[in-house]
Amino acid sequence: MKASGSTMELIGAVMVGTIALVAVAAPWLAPHNPTAAVATSFGAPAPPSRAFPFGTDELGRDVLSRIIWGARISLTVGLAGMVMTMTIGVAIGLCAGLFGGTVDFVLMRFTDVMLTLPGLLLAMALVAVLTPSLLTILIVIGLVSWTQVARVVRAEALSIRQRDFVVAAVMLGASSWRLLTRHLLPNTMPLIVVMAALATSGTLLLDAGLSFLGLGVPPPTPSWGRMIDEAQLYLRTAPWLAAFPGLAILYAVLGFNFLGYGYLRRQGR
Amino acid sequence: MNPGRWLALAALTLLLAACQHDPALNFPPGAQVLHLASQDDVPTLDPAAGYDTASWSFEQALFDTLVRYADGSIALKPDLATSWESSPDATHFTFHLRHDARFSNGRVVTSGDLKYSLQRVLTPATRSKGIEYYRNILGAEDYIAGRANDVRGIATPDPYTISFTLRAPDPIFIHKLCMPFAAAVPREAVQRWGDDFSSHPVGSGAFELKQWRRGQYLVLTRNPYYFVRGQPRLDAVVERVGVNEELEWLQYRAGEVDVAGIPSADFPAVIKDPRLAPLILKIVSAATDYLGLNCQMAPLTDVRVRRAFNYAIDKRKLLALLNGRGVIAHDVLPPGLPGYDPDLAGYPYDPARARHLLAAAGVKAGFAPELWMRADQTMLLLGESIQQDLALVGINVRLKPVAWGPLLEAVRQPSTVALSLLGWEADFPDPENFLNVLFSKAQWGSNNDTFYYNPEVDRLMAQAAPLADLHQRLALYKQAEKLIVADAPWVFLYHPVTYVIRQPWVHGWVLNPMRPTRFEKVWISAH
Amino acid sequence: MLSYLIRRLSFGVAVLLGTSLITFAIAFVVPADPAVTIAGAKADPQTLALIRAQLGLDRPIYIQYARYLDRLLHGDLGRSYIMRENVGHLIATRFPATAVLALCAMVLSLLIGLAMGMMAAAHRDRALDNALLVFALTLVSFPVFWLGLMLLMVGGLYLRSFPLGGFSGPKSLLLPTLTLALGSGGYYSRILHTSMGEAMGQDYIRTALGKGLSRRQAMFRHGLVNALLPLVTLAGLDLAGLLSGVVLTETVFDWPGIGRLAFEAIFNLDIPLIMGTVLFSAALIVVGNLLVDLLYLWLDPRIRLTT
Repeated sequence: MKASGSTMELIGAVMVGTIALVAVAAPWLAPHNPTAAVATSFGAPAPPSRAFPFGTDELGRDVLSRIIWGARISLTVGLAGMVMTMTIGVAIGLCAGLFGGTVDFVLMRFTDVMLTLPGLLLAMALVAVLTPSLLTILIVIGLVSWTQVARVVRAEALSIRQRDFVVAAVMLGASSWRLLTRHLLPNTMPLIVVMAALATSGTLLLDAGLSFLGLGVPPPTPSWGRMIDEAQLYLRTAPWLAAFPGLAILYAVLGFNFLGYGYLRRQGR
Repeated sequence: MNPGRWLALAALTLLLAACQHDPALNFPPGAQVLHLASQDDVPTLDPAAGYDTASWSFEQALFDTLVRYADGSIALKPDLATSWESSPDATHFTFHLRHDARFSNGRVVTSGDLKYSLQRVLTPATRSKGIEYYRNILGAEDYIAGRANDVRGIATPDPYTISFTLRAPDPIFIHKLCMPFAAAVPREAVQRWGDDFSSHPVGSGAFELKQWRRGQYLVLTRNPYYFVRGQPRLDAVVERVGVNEELEWLQYRAGEVDVAGIPSADFPAVIKDPRLAPLILKIVSAATDYLGLNCQMAPLTDVRVRRAFNYAIDKRKLLALLNGRGVIAHDVLPPGLPGYDPDLAGYPYDPARARHLLAAAGVKAGFAPELWMRADQTMLLLGESIQQDLALVGINVRLKPVAWGPLLEAVRQPSTVALSLLGWEADFPDPENFLNVLFSKAQWGSNNDTFYYNPEVDRLMAQAAPLADLHQRLALYKQAEKLIVADAPWVFLYHPVTYVIRQPWVHGWVLNPMRPTRFEKVWISAH
Repeated sequence: MLSYLIRRLSFGVAVLLGTSLITFAIAFVVPADPAVTIAGAKADPQTLALIRAQLGLDRPIYIQYARYLDRLLHGDLGRSYIMRENVGHLIATRFPATAVLALCAMVLSLLIGLAMGMMAAAHRDRALDNALLVFALTLVSFPVFWLGLMLLMVGGLYLRSFPLGGFSGPKSLLLPTLTLALGSGGYYSRILHTSMGEAMGQDYIRTALGKGLSRRQAMFRHGLVNALLPLVTLAGLDLAGLLSGVVLTETVFDWPGIGRLAFEAIFNLDIPLIMGTVLFSAALIVVGNLLVDLLYLWLDPRIRLTT
């Protein structure tokens, strides 16, 4: 049943597509303003009703609208963070793989040092130090997640470097830049694309974790992770407040994971 | 401490942690044990260091001061001192000590111990947060700077008499001696344990520390040498740590915790429950929570804009978010503090008037100030509510949650923070503790974080501070407060109300306006 | 072999040194004035200046770092600004709770990974295999803290069978362990699945099958043992990921471990405690990696011969 690979990829693409659509269309899709108090009562969350399908929170805000607008933040942070991660990781991985020798040694030692620092802890410390804002979160997430990418890309670059056409190019006197851009990069591209999908699921989870700990994008911008954090107080009396944002995160992360793994499966890995 | 010792400690803790039942928590049947719970561990038990409710709550059980507050009030009554005199100009105070107070190591408490304790607070190496309160003692500055080995303003003519001479008159000095910073500590114990005195406290209070397993629990047992007959009535106090609000509530319902806070989510139901409602205790705390408006940053320099903020914010919404655990503040001082003026009307909720004032002051549409606050759940909720209200009058507030340290630092700089969500709790029952500290020019860059200055107010407060005559003093402060409210450097939000609930078998639990509840008179009936 | 060990050890030390530099750099960039954190809200400028001088905060960076390293080598991790306790002491008393949780989670996740991976391998390319893949991916996609909250809600509030947080004995261990282990278990099951696939494609399997072993027997007797190696080593190298999950889990379950200690430290900008906990976790990971390398050495003779 090898066809399952492409089915999975397709499902993943559809899932990611729906989230992207929701994020882009948020102003038209959301029934209410996500930061205004629209509920009839104030101070306590209200359960799902006809007027508010996902209920309202303690500040009288519509949960459905907040989830829809939250898609914007999640996707922005997830994708931008992924771009940052991939840029650093691919750059380091390719350079290490191509140049070898001292360059490889130094870069890999540096990667090793970064690997000993637990990602979340480092991210927390950096965000706390730099005070939370959208930009800080992006940068921090990128700085913390590139190590896996670098390692994998380096391994792939090393194996490609041994291949005949690369050896031939070197003998013909190709410059490093040419090797990098004309040979290594295009051949590692499929791997990079897959890693991008998987890295996005990682950055989404990291962002959710940071937001949950209170170190994410500051309010009143709706953020799924922080919605769960705020819902802790009401876990017993209003469990839907925590359930819906969590399901949203699960959906988004799963979508990217299906995309990535589906592709891998299709390639037979 | 070398790594080997840590390893041994870790291994031992692991072993003990694996055991479910701890010997320290075994009490004989019929023993009166008070069970409490809290989320965070007690920061410290060293009276020179502690400056928060949790630390003070236990410090006052372990240590004594010269004087203390009577239960439920702000009246002073004897503790280590049996009587005292103060000079009419409030610069000289003499205390006579009781002869039978003993530390838990058996030694009698003398005036020398009190002098030692205060000098310890004044020693820079101790890094005590209480150092400010005793700087005014004659010779304290020299002692702090290292120019003298001894604070000459503290005299101990005999082992049971101690007198203080101040540099400048201070009618509320006695209240400063009531703070746990001034508690008597035995020199030999402090020298033995050094910085770890917090883990091995020795005091003359009603209780002594039996065991403290950090992150897990704290156990106090009665001090056999305590000088009040019949106290404490309890045999032990156990506080379990790392118990969140939710868990504490469930433990209370199960009868495992004797006095507990009430979680927000359950509050509305509890106050209506006929079985639980009579067990609730509440007190309006001597504190005010406010939105600070930086009077030196445009357009907040215009008093009309500041008044507009006051009219624009709906304080009932804030109280709703707090589940009613507060009373709306109309002015600076909390009710219960001497000098509180019940007739000051303050600013009612009136967004139309706010818009009018903002227009009159010419505030542009793009005005988007930053609101700085402590990064905690409740503060964020309140901040978001304020954001909602101000959005309705055309001001787009941006929230900036930061950690406590950076918040304090930023707020003390003249042009960094425009709006801040803060609170101030009284350390002593006198308007000086609010008004002088928060609104005088001398406190710019320190506690006057709104950089407010009104020369008339400064004049009134400078006049009032050294006055020992209460009547005159309060009258002057009343005038000053009226001016401050009219100038609106703050949006006066609310005074928090503390709610706790006790079990039907717990008696003698009294809430105090200035201090945490004391354990000495608490007792437990059979159940 | 000895030279390999020495190389690895000295490399570990070098890595720790690098980590200490990074943690120090972060602490240095912190905008909070430690004096204000220590002295509190109502302190006046003179006291603050005094504290700053005492802490040596007015000296140049490299001197501060040198002093920090010096104290570190003597086992002094400093004193927490907020709790006034010796940082080493704090970490030592809180670490056992995390160790218990991490160990149990590791064991459970390996078991889950084994079970799922083996089932998938046994029915390779059939419906069960695909179903397990989807299941594993779902497990991996759960935000750890949300999973913990949901488990807490169901187990603690609705079923009332589990304590609502805190470390009070074996029963309180179950939900947090499950929270951590489900995600890792899903991840490991995929790794096992892949390495099983590789192992089963090897020649010695074909020989075994030729000798008359059933596919099942071949899988268990030969394939599994060889597939286990990369799994165990990867699990060991995943310590960093485990510690990250531990921080979130400890926060949800009020677990008195170093994860929550680190979080509180960061929240309060309690610099010595932050540096201590980050350095400690780094040390754990370095030691863990070293142990994994040694394990690898012992289990796979081929490596031994080439070093």
